[in-house]
Amino acid sequence: MLEQLLIFTRGGLILWTCKELGNALKGSPIDTLIRSCLLEERSGDLSYNYDAPGAAYTLKWTFNNDLGLIFVAVYQRILHLFYVDDLLATVKREFSQLYDSKKMDYYDFDDIYRQLQKEAEARAEELKKSSKLQFGGSRSTNFQSKKQGQAAVIGRSDGGNQKSNGSGKDGGDKDSIVSRKLQNGNSNGHQNGIESYATGDGKGKENRESEAGAFDVNKLQKKLRSKGGKKTDTTTITNKAPKVDSNKKITKKNRVWDDAPTQPKLDFTDPADERGDENFEVVAKDHGKSMMDKEEIISSDDESEEEEDEEVGADNKPNAKKTGWFSSMFQSITGKANLDKADLEPALKGLKDRLMTKNVAEEIAEKLCESVAASLEGKKMGSFTRISSTVKTAMEEALVRILTPKRSIDILRDVHAAKEQGKPYVVVFVGVNGVGKSTNLAKVAYWLQQHKVSVMMAACDTFRSGAVEQLRTHARRLNIPIFEKGYEKDPAVVAKEAIQEAARNGSDVVLVDTAGRMQDNEPLMRALSKLIYLNNPDLVLFVGEALVGNDAVDQLSKFNQKLADLANSPNARLIDGILLTKFDTIDDKVGAALSMVYISGAPVMFVGCGQSYTDLKKLNVKSIIKTLLM
Amino acid sequence: MEEWINELQKWLKQADQLIHLIGEVPTVQFYVAIGVLLLTSVLYLLVLVLKRTKSNTIVFAGLSGSGKTVIFYQLRDGSSHQGTVTSMDPNVDSFVLHSESDKVGEVNPVHVIDVPGHSRLRTKLDEYLPQAAGLVFVVDALDFLPNCRGAAEYLYYILTKASVVKKKIPMLILCNKTDKVTAHTKEFIRKLLEKEIDKLWTSIKNCYI
Repeated sequence: MLEQLLIFTRGGLILWTCKELGNALKGSPIDTLIRSCLLEERSGDLSYNYDAPGAAYTLKWTFNNDLGLIFVAVYQRILHLFYVDDLLATVKREFSQLYDSKKMDYYDFDDIYRQLQKEAEARAEELKKSSKLQFGGSRSTNFQSKKQGQAAVIGRSDGGNQKSNGSGKDGGDKDSIVSRKLQNGNSNGHQNGIESYATGDGKGKENRESEAGAFDVNKLQKKLRSKGGKKTDTTTITNKAPKVDSNKKITKKNRVWDDAPTQPKLDFTDPADERGDENFEVVAKDHGKSMMDKEEIISSDDESEEEEDEEVGADNKPNAKKTGWFSSMFQSITGKANLDKADLEPALKGLKDRLMTKNVAEEIAEKLCESVAASLEGKKMGSFTRISSTVKTAMEEALVRILTPKRSIDILRDVHAAKEQGKPYVVVFVGVNGVGKSTNLAKVAYWLQQHKVSVMMAACDTFRSGAVEQLRTHARRLNIPIFEKGYEKDPAVVAKEAIQEAARNGSDVVLVDTAGRMQDNEPLMRALSKLIYLNNPDLVLFVGEALVGNDAVDQLSKFNQKLADLANSPNARLIDGILLTKFDTIDDKVGAALSMVYISGAPVMFVGCGQSYTDLKKLNVKSIIKTLLM
Repeated sequence: MEEWINELQKWLKQADQLIHLIGEVPTVQFYVAIGVLLLTSVLYLLVLVLKRTKSNTIVFAGLSGSGKTVIFYQLRDGSSHQGTVTSMDPNVDSFVLHSESDKVGEVNPVHVIDVPGHSRLRTKLDEYLPQAAGLVFVVDALDFLPNCRGAAEYLYYILTKASVVKKKIPMLILCNKTDKVTAHTKEFIRKLLEKEIDKLWTSIKNCYI
């Protein structure tokens, strides 16, 4: 049984709710749906899960873009109602005929709805009986028809199809990632990671799986894949053992040849380095103004319309009929056509390819295109507009919406606020190996220093050789206090002590450097989660490089997932911001920024574009969008 | 003087020659052409003059959840019907206020725009500000303390916009939902907003040392 079915306008007015299902919804699922899903350009998803204390709902929706209406159905997640898509489609059809923009109350729709619901339930019952006999037959229907279950037979088996197709595609992706990781020799428990990723991935995939019911081809495929992968398990176990051993200190006796005097001291580093300040002259020279404070001048010339035409023309399929072209030209002049999915497809495919050439992850580009399609389907085109330009404007708006930060990214304000409360503002830098955490930490410290904020660094990278020395060098150059405890210490404890020290000597900001870790490495992710949980930082900054491609999606989603899973409290700290590094190495392949922001919802707070202290700037949304869509 | 008259005569001769040249064009068409030119310039001047008449657009802005859409429908229809959800698109309409709908005589309609308050849709405000004759900033008096910083930031953002400053658009801060018992008072909200904007201003000032 549905909990609620709502019809509302895009402007926010509720036009109709079902009177019979009068249960008040716990929490505010509709508002959350709009804020976290529809406005985040995830309207191409199949469903949305909402959790409130005391209730777990699933929401499904459909749009009527022509009239600007949204239809949402809410039901309990434990019930697997199959008729919801069908019901939404029929409700949309009937209501659109009734709709009048002047009318505000639609009480006569109640009877129509009751009838529609009965019909939909009856159809679902028939389907359930018939599908148990004919499942597995039609594997070849198109992948595209997702949301509105059109007619009876296609409805249910379609759900089965795109589920198996979708997971087949993702399975292929995962397999390639698995093989890559094996080659790198980074294999600690990654098999577990793959299994948990396969079952626990959000974005509605678990909904699709749980809706299976009968014979699950999907699970069988996974089992076959994991059987093939089990052979590698033995290698991981053997790899694990020596790694653990090497961590323990093996004190070996030094072999003595030719009665040479024993040399107890094997450490030839300069003793003065241990307490660096005295011996080095303070090199705290001014490196100039950080690029964060420089205003960027954006050139506001429009791209030429001509070269865009040629590109789109090349993308169009060569077998477009002459009459089709003529009628579409005619329609574009008169502007009366309703946009159809088939019309949008070529333009969207062209846009998706263009985004992918700019290094946007394939999954993200696909989702974005679906979302834009969902928002344009059925809309009337204005006169003298071509489909490609309509799609392009819609995509531009969507990109602006995604890249505009949800909350203020002004760190200085937050620092001042924390200063008033008397405690230091703690920033933790996390990320995979080699993305530039320590370098960019120094850049951020330099920028903060320029704004008269007293900074302290905490060296919590106690694993990598030379990490503490690296930070010490930066601290010396910038004349900043650094808190370090050497190597082989628990980073969470070091961070805690660093924050206490900062509170004691009155530093405004503590920048915590952590060791790089792969997102599949379970023990390291657990250690990171412990650090964050124990110290409760004000800002968790994920450092990602702009060169990364599809792996950005994997990195961010796994980091967030592990932080959420392994934290002990219900409201876990997730990634609050992104620091994009190595931006100067990509000239116009700026898509990694979009992938990262889309998958995590966190804004890009800094962009690192070089290796000196001044190479830190803010993300310029307009120029990124221009570069992406050029 | 002589030279002046000479100059004039030379001028007249040149003009004569020109007119003879033009005179080869049939005179009717010539006059029609001049007529059309005059007409278009008159129309253009008319349009310019008419445009300067004051617009009567009021823009409602504020954080998401402060009640702008409810106010919109209340002003228009006298009730908010079955409730509202977070707006994704602006509500634009020109209507006679519901409270004045039963007034006898000439009532001017007002043009009201309700801009969504969600932070991702903040750019929509820029589209409607140029035509605004007045701006109402809606603040939720009930749930004010958690949103104080966000409200202050938004207000600061609007107050420092070039179009608002240049045209000196009159602004009104509306404290909504004061019928509830736990709503804060006007003075409290005013003091807190002033403090927050002060803090914002000093921190932004410090940025550019």
